[in-house]
Amino acid sequence: MMFGASSCGEDFLNLQPQQSVADANFLKNVDDFRTAILGAHDQLQNSDWYGRYFLLVPDVMGEDIKQNASANRAKEWAEYNGTSVDFIPNEFWAELYEGINIANQIINAEYTAPTPEVQAEVDHIKGQARAIRGLAHFDLVRLFAQHYTFTAGGGHVGVPIVTEYNVAAKPARNTVAEVYTQVIDDLTAGYNGMTLDPPNAGYMNKIAAAALLGRVYLYMDDFSNAEAWSTTAITEATAAGKSLVANADYPTMFLDGNSSEALFEINMILVDNNGSDHLGGMYKESGYGDYLPSNILFTLLDTLNTDDIRGKGAMWLADPNLTGIFGSVRVNKYPSAGSTIATDNLPIIRLSEVYLNRAEARAKLGTNDAGARDDANMLINLRTNGFNALTTESGQALVDAILDERRRELYAEGHRIFDISRNQLDMDRQDAADPANCTSITCFEAYPNDRFILPIPLDELSANPQIENDQNPGY
Amino acid sequence: MRKSLLFGLALLFSIGVVFAQDRTITGKVTSADDGTGIPGVNIVVKGTTTGAVTDLDGNYKLSVPSDGAILVFSFIGMETQEVEIGGRSVIDVAMGLDSEQLAEVVVVGYGTQTKEQLTGAVSVIDTEQLEMMPKASFQDALQGSSPGLQVVNLDGAPGAGIAVRVRGIGSINASNEPLYVIDGIPVVSGSVSNTDFDNGGRSSNVMASLNPNDIESLVVLKDAASTAIYGSRGANGVVLITTKSGKSGSGKANVDVKARWGVSENAFNNLLTGLNGDQYFQLYVEGYENIGWTTQDATDQFYSQFPVDDNGDYYSTNWLDEITNPGAVQEYDISVQGGTDKLNYFISTNYFDQDGVVVNNFFERLSGRANIGGQISKKISFSNNLAVSYFKQRGITDGTRWQAPFYLGILMAPAVPVFDETGQYYSDHKSFFMGGNNPAGHLHDDRRNLRQLRVTDNLTATWNIIEGLDFRTAWSLDFIRVDENLYANPRYGDGRNVGGTANVAATSVLNWLGTQTLTYNKTFAEQHGLSVLAGYEAQKVSEDGVEAYGEGFAHPTLKNLASVANPQDVNSYLTEYSFESLFARVNYDFRNKYFLSGSIRRDGSSRFGPDNRYGTFWSLGAGYTMTEEGYLQNADWLNLLKLRASYGITGNAGIGNFDWAGLWGFSRAYDGSPAAAPAQVANPLLTWESQENLNFGLDYEMFNNRLRGSVEYFNRFSSDMLLDRPLSMTTGFRSVTENFGDMKNFGWEFVLAADIVSTDDWLVTLGGNITLLTNEIVKLDEAFLDGTKRREEGRDYQEFFLLGWAGVNPVNGDPIWYTDSSKTETTSNVSEAERFYDGKSATPTAYGGFNLDATWKGLTLSFMFNYSFGNYVYDSPGWVLHGDGRFTPRSTSQYAFENRWTQEKADAGQTEFLFPQHRWGGNQASNQRNSDRYLFEGDFIRLKKVNLSYNFPQSIASKAKMRSLQVYLSLDNYWTWVKDENLTFDPEQIVSGVYNTVTPISKTVNFGINMGF
Repeated sequence: MMFGASSCGEDFLNLQPQQSVADANFLKNVDDFRTAILGAHDQLQNSDWYGRYFLLVPDVMGEDIKQNASANRAKEWAEYNGTSVDFIPNEFWAELYEGINIANQIINAEYTAPTPEVQAEVDHIKGQARAIRGLAHFDLVRLFAQHYTFTAGGGHVGVPIVTEYNVAAKPARNTVAEVYTQVIDDLTAGYNGMTLDPPNAGYMNKIAAAALLGRVYLYMDDFSNAEAWSTTAITEATAAGKSLVANADYPTMFLDGNSSEALFEINMILVDNNGSDHLGGMYKESGYGDYLPSNILFTLLDTLNTDDIRGKGAMWLADPNLTGIFGSVRVNKYPSAGSTIATDNLPIIRLSEVYLNRAEARAKLGTNDAGARDDANMLINLRTNGFNALTTESGQALVDAILDERRRELYAEGHRIFDISRNQLDMDRQDAADPANCTSITCFEAYPNDRFILPIPLDELSANPQIENDQNPGY
Repeated sequence: MRKSLLFGLALLFSIGVVFAQDRTITGKVTSADDGTGIPGVNIVVKGTTTGAVTDLDGNYKLSVPSDGAILVFSFIGMETQEVEIGGRSVIDVAMGLDSEQLAEVVVVGYGTQTKEQLTGAVSVIDTEQLEMMPKASFQDALQGSSPGLQVVNLDGAPGAGIAVRVRGIGSINASNEPLYVIDGIPVVSGSVSNTDFDNGGRSSNVMASLNPNDIESLVVLKDAASTAIYGSRGANGVVLITTKSGKSGSGKANVDVKARWGVSENAFNNLLTGLNGDQYFQLYVEGYENIGWTTQDATDQFYSQFPVDDNGDYYSTNWLDEITNPGAVQEYDISVQGGTDKLNYFISTNYFDQDGVVVNNFFERLSGRANIGGQISKKISFSNNLAVSYFKQRGITDGTRWQAPFYLGILMAPAVPVFDETGQYYSDHKSFFMGGNNPAGHLHDDRRNLRQLRVTDNLTATWNIIEGLDFRTAWSLDFIRVDENLYANPRYGDGRNVGGTANVAATSVLNWLGTQTLTYNKTFAEQHGLSVLAGYEAQKVSEDGVEAYGEGFAHPTLKNLASVANPQDVNSYLTEYSFESLFARVNYDFRNKYFLSGSIRRDGSSRFGPDNRYGTFWSLGAGYTMTEEGYLQNADWLNLLKLRASYGITGNAGIGNFDWAGLWGFSRAYDGSPAAAPAQVANPLLTWESQENLNFGLDYEMFNNRLRGSVEYFNRFSSDMLLDRPLSMTTGFRSVTENFGDMKNFGWEFVLAADIVSTDDWLVTLGGNITLLTNEIVKLDEAFLDGTKRREEGRDYQEFFLLGWAGVNPVNGDPIWYTDSSKTETTSNVSEAERFYDGKSATPTAYGGFNLDATWKGLTLSFMFNYSFGNYVYDSPGWVLHGDGRFTPRSTSQYAFENRWTQEKADAGQTEFLFPQHRWGGNQASNQRNSDRYLFEGDFIRLKKVNLSYNFPQSIASKAKMRSLQVYLSLDNYWTWVKDENLTFDPEQIVSGVYNTVTPISKTVNFGINMGF
């Protein structure tokens, strides 16, 4: 009697979270899809992906960026002595697969829109999710597996392909070829599925998917498709009013954001940025300041005349505390970086790279050297007032020239170690002019090299018996 | 031992033996109180086994051998009497209550019991200690005072948190804190602070709101028989706190006034100290020379980075001196209590103010209480306990944050001056040295402020329906509000590039509870005691909070968000949980000799998945007072021998509020719009951890109570442990919370107290307790790494799993490592070394306390020690503080400086080095954190308290119109012994054994005066 009278009833124990939404109640209308695709973009913004480390680690593993004496982040990868328990590979692995899961939730959500207009938007969002899933797999396979042509046909070990959420899944590693097939499938489906114009370059879009496909095929040494997709990207970008950034705007193109050549980049705004974990903070004394431009990079840029906007004052920031072999300037590609805030947008792909991708593809095809030179000269003429433009180069000399141009244009944007390994080059930090002047404990790493890729993190090995005995050699 | 206890239990069913007699004595035993006959009184002829028991009316008849001269009358709760027979054949005796035993009424869940009735393991804490507490929270008084309890100050700063573990660690991911119950209300414990000064919950303590002087009784329930009545929240033990109430009596008011003053400093005297300017300069240059620089280049760079004084010399700042000062504590407490038959009251007010040993670090509390009770009618009584408490805390960020005083104080170069030329705190090193943090400046220019207001009200009404049957209804409200204000200045440190930062946060916790109970107490046939409890309880706890963050201040005096240029972040949240429970308990005793108890509770909670929302918990207990049996009647020396046994199932519901739910989280944003992503894996089966709890106890008192104590054996077996099962990260998640895994904690507890000297003027008592604890993970599907440890089936949960440090290569100063657990091979390449178990755990093999009290007339001198043996402690910031130059150009300790490898020392023939060479950027693997290089033996003995007090004789006190007058001098934490001479931090560390540059424990000298009017 007493118990019944005082009982509070079932609802008393049936409390619901107030800051989250239960799985079963989400992705039930177009607003949910909008919020979810922003979640996927927010994941790309993570400081362990395009927000910082994915754009940093490939550079610190190369020659164009050197490590400051007091460096404390990404140190193991700059010095080639990392292990499978280290933070960076673990976070890459976890955060990129988290991005894939967000995309999968969107792609696999069953939802029929009430009107064709709404359906079109949902389809566009699903297309964005496909492209982001493709990009995530591409980034994973670049980080954790040897490049596509490491073995004939790409049959060597890659990363697990995940296209469905299954909490119990413990997938084995697919081959690199399988991963690339998935990447192309996703990016192509994304390209076909995206129909709406993005509000700005901060959103995955159709042109970006085409441009990324150009890069993917280039990595596969499939130069015809690389050329074709790059052409598609250039054509559509031009039609959409995109063009290479004018020199006047070049030093602040990331600070200003949404530049004329930005195809897809991460938006960083005052109320939403990575704070002290921003990429720029890794280069600047106001942040962690762990990484500096190398003398090799200066040599590369100094071979051009002083008109090269990329070697000019605004691209560097003097730091009187840098002395001796570490003197005397810092990378200023991301000028806003302070210790706790930075609003520079961060590049995923931009038009300059698409021209360089097509130039490289054409040069390597060897059937259209003039076209290759024209593409490279698009950049050279603009950035250097035509100094040192390519005129008659062909064959390997042309490829080398284009690769050098790529370093000048894309340093500190997360490309170098991938370019080294897919071109089967050695990583050589010894300055030709001054061989002793290597500031690192690791000055030379020959191709092929186990350490050009990262180890599968130990946490994954211990949780996933299918991968447990499939660690990358050398780790 | 276990066998003999079981044997003792078997004796429950045995019967005393009667022998043949010579002459007959008869008589009646009555109560001195009301003259009624007392049944069941034991009468023995002293020195023999001959005896009898009184009948229902108190009459007895006994045949006494011809040489028998003295009869001994004894009964539980009554004072034992010895009567000379002489020539009498009729001997009537009036027995009075035993005042000593009468006091032993113990508060248990939802009621009280006499100590004799207990069948479970219950520790009653001496509340006298609470009146001279050096700490803000009463929890400190638990330390060393009772077996089975591991009590650790999480942080030495004033008002900081205290961790309590009852009989080991029973859970891996759910809470290990006991349930705290204040005047019947299960309350929120730990930290409810939003920021906790970035210290992860150790720096604020909601319990610090409670004035320890207000506590009447402090009891810890440790086994199932005592905790199962708290069901799903009983598994970690229960701490029952009862506040004082007025005594019904003549109506005269008793006024107590207490005052205390003290000063404090760091307790442990082997703490690290920093370098001086010369040493730093030497190390700076050496560090660069060791990576191939010339002396000149290194010297030039030094002078380009650090300033010089007017004489052209570099500075030599002693940072630890700059950040510390003598601490001080003062406390004043006034209470008034009294009452009549109709109304009684206890009211108090208390002011407590403690300044820490770190500059500008303080805790200040003002609290008041009004506990009122009385009789509304003959059948209905009521009580209302109202407490209001407010405290203000200025904290510090500690741990391995850059601002942490005892971290930054070592790492900051002595070549950095305190002030610049303009008199501001120096910050010109911000471009290259830890954000320009200024250890001293941070404590003045920045803010870490917290205020807490707590109001607790508890209204109870009891209706005595018929004799023995009571209905009690209790309604409680506990409201906590915490306001925080954090500020970082614009010039240096965290705020340097954004013009300063400010955070504000406000958190409210509302705890609502209704408890309805029926109790029935009756003695049948004058020998069957029965006590029955049945109840229903509903509780809901809601927490909501608001926080905001902004950047950019125009002027150093502006610190509030109103004047901020960039409002950056706002956040608010609400989270809640509820419990709904039915419970019952039956206690039965036969002639106060045999005791049986049983309890059951059915709990439902919102914290668990809809598929597994309800659980049932229960216990059974038995007690047997052997000294009530005839066969022990002639053992004069033995006053009490009692066996106890209990078994039951309790639960641990100490997990997050919605851990079972699959969730999309919205703590994301992109390009100015809200964003969402899957945030948690669903597990509708998620439910409480359950724990089987077995306990055997033996209580003894002998030699006229001069030797007394207890022995307990316990075995806590936790199953269905909530564990984060690691997932393949390809799922998008790292782990899922599931119920799997078993762990057990078993061991022994011994308590012994002896009155070594007991005369009219002298009383010298020696006492101590020891807990022997063993922990073992019984079932764990997959071993997993967890920081410095690896959790593996069959091992101690707290066993360290580390790289084996093999010391320093004397030839080149490089670190060397053991390749594996065999420790036969060494390598200078750390990637060739593997981590291994080395039988070293953070779990102590033995811990406890001991005390020596000497009283001579009104003068009392007491010593209390606590100790821990067999555990290891890990220096988690070691890899930074002692990273051999890993972080250029951070300074290090004197200890490292003096013990490092140098070429000179090596050339001079030294072969043993504690520290490798100092090399900027570090030696190979200087960044290896999980190495036993940073592991130390944690054994310690600490003199927790020395107290010298004097109670003035009544004659003197009454001349000053006082009821009583006491003055005292006490020393807290004044002496500490550690086994490991290389230990450079306080040995008292959190239960995980991992030191994290928290504020060290301080020692205090107190002087106080207590006056009663």
